[in-house]
Amino acid sequence: MSTDLTHSDVESILKIIDAAENLNEIEIVHGSFRLHVVREYNGHSLGAPRTPTAPHAPPQANSNSAPSPEKATAAPAAKVSAEVPPGTVAIRAPMLGIFYRAPAPGEKPFVEVGQRVKADDTVCLIEVMKLFNSIRAGVDGEVVKIFAENSALVEFDQVLICVKPSEG
Amino acid sequence: MAAAPFKRILIANRGEIAVRVVRACQTLGIESVVAVSAADRDSLAAKMATRAICIGPEAASQSYLRPELLVTAATGTGCEAVHPGYGFLSERAQFSRMCAEAGLTFIGPVPEAIEVMGDKISAVKLAEEVGVPRVPGSGRVSNAESAREFARKHGYPVLIKASAGGGGRGMRVVRRDDEFISQLAAAAAEAQAAFGDPSLYVEKFVERARHIEIQILGDKHGNVVHLGERDCSTQRRHQKLIEEAPSPVIDASLRRELADAAVRLARHVNYVGAGTVEFVFDDDTRRWYFLEMNTRIQVEHPVTEMVTGRDLVVEQIRVAAGAPISFTQEQIALTGHAIECRINAEDAGANFAPRPGRIQTWSAPAGEGVRIDTHCFSGYLVPPYYDSLLAKIIVHGRDRREAVDRMQDALKRLQISGVPTTAPFHQQVLAHRDFTAAAVTTRWVEETFLPSVCQAGAA
Repeated sequence: MSTDLTHSDVESILKIIDAAENLNEIEIVHGSFRLHVVREYNGHSLGAPRTPTAPHAPPQANSNSAPSPEKATAAPAAKVSAEVPPGTVAIRAPMLGIFYRAPAPGEKPFVEVGQRVKADDTVCLIEVMKLFNSIRAGVDGEVVKIFAENSALVEFDQVLICVKPSEG
Repeated sequence: MAAAPFKRILIANRGEIAVRVVRACQTLGIESVVAVSAADRDSLAAKMATRAICIGPEAASQSYLRPELLVTAATGTGCEAVHPGYGFLSERAQFSRMCAEAGLTFIGPVPEAIEVMGDKISAVKLAEEVGVPRVPGSGRVSNAESAREFARKHGYPVLIKASAGGGGRGMRVVRRDDEFISQLAAAAAEAQAAFGDPSLYVEKFVERARHIEIQILGDKHGNVVHLGERDCSTQRRHQKLIEEAPSPVIDASLRRELADAAVRLARHVNYVGAGTVEFVFDDDTRRWYFLEMNTRIQVEHPVTEMVTGRDLVVEQIRVAAGAPISFTQEQIALTGHAIECRINAEDAGANFAPRPGRIQTWSAPAGEGVRIDTHCFSGYLVPPYYDSLLAKIIVHGRDRREAVDRMQDALKRLQISGVPTTAPFHQQVLAHRDFTAAAVTTRWVEETFLPSVCQAGAA
């Protein structure tokens, strides 16, 4: 079965498309993933913005069902480093964006505290202007703490979730 | 007290300009959110702002140059507007557009104005439409006679350029009628070899060029004012090093001509915000030509603030929120003389190579007529990822001589250890008789000053 594309996969694809000459429009279908890019041609935009062209949502989220971020209030200066319990591994935000615990509003969260995860499991989504990035656990183990709040803005490198790695 | 123009704004920049914008926010009672890369988490702007938000890793290509991250950071923190500073995304029409689409006010002109001014060809065309001259150039020249005709009309020297060219290749300076035949042949051969196209044209060559620019400000009510000129002729490889206001080489009537041209151009594109119209001034013929327009706040804006007493960044934010400019053209008076020196973490003796590193001690001068715009402090690590600007020293005096004396005094009292700086270079330039006599042109640092310093050093 096809595996999901990561944020960097999408970026690589966009770079290849960007470098290609004589290419105005392309559609890539990969499993349930669909990427549709329309490029500026001779300085005239044919519609969609060029970089970073938002693909239709990746498998976990339906493009039109993404929850919108709650209107942020004047948060005090954010403290990015959270208390990571000893013996656990922190899953950090690889990019700034809006943090989502579930594939879509009303759906079951990807993970809950106490749940066992595999390294390849998606634990949350981070949205950057309609581009949804699946964040993986990166380690087999048990979710011990979820720091980030659903639909809140998370900063680059912020601790999102802590996982206690499996023995051996 | 008047209501703040915005509740909260995002600052999409770093370094001294981020600090400058935070200060303007404080003046206006606006909350500031400064977007930082991982290298700038502990920056002075981050400490001073209401909040800092980390948008990405150190490399600018993954942080400050990513419009989608900055827009997400702005909307996610409840900001109403975005200040782009200078450099980075400040003159990207697409960023301005993305802000607007996300419901954010971009503190700068509309995307269309950025686009039309950002493109050299369309900007020059617009300038010609409103009667603002460009450096005269010919169409394609096919023989020496048509080239001579152009040169006689506009005066020698002229420059032969390759139509397909760039980077100085195929360029030849011609000073006399009889030089054309051999120079055209050589230039055509060079152009053919370099670009596969031997087509040439001829342009007026400004041998003794000064860089003079006019600060303008427009609002959403159709008002456009100018705040006089800045003279930025002390440059090295097109990088400005010292700026002053007013220019020591123009008088009131020339100032009016340049300012009228700049205002006409700004009005023509319904310009909103702070902008600068740059001109090449021929010191020999005293003619001037349109160079380009910058659609952002400039590094050297403080010299204008010193001689006008107006806060350009505050005004920029106010007009972005829809307020009319808070003063009229008649209320702008130029008082005294201001000079700015850019202090960079560079080794002037090693071809101005950037030298980032830890600043051990930082002690900046203060006092009458001295202003320092900086993000540095003792213990600050100058990161290697961005430009090397550490601080701008700006002085104000009753006249140019007093301003030069104040700058020399300020440079003497500036104490920085840990990284080399360009402060000693500035001291030497300011002491040079060409600078004192206002005889500096845009190529002076490379062609006259640096060779003389090297010789003196070798002797």
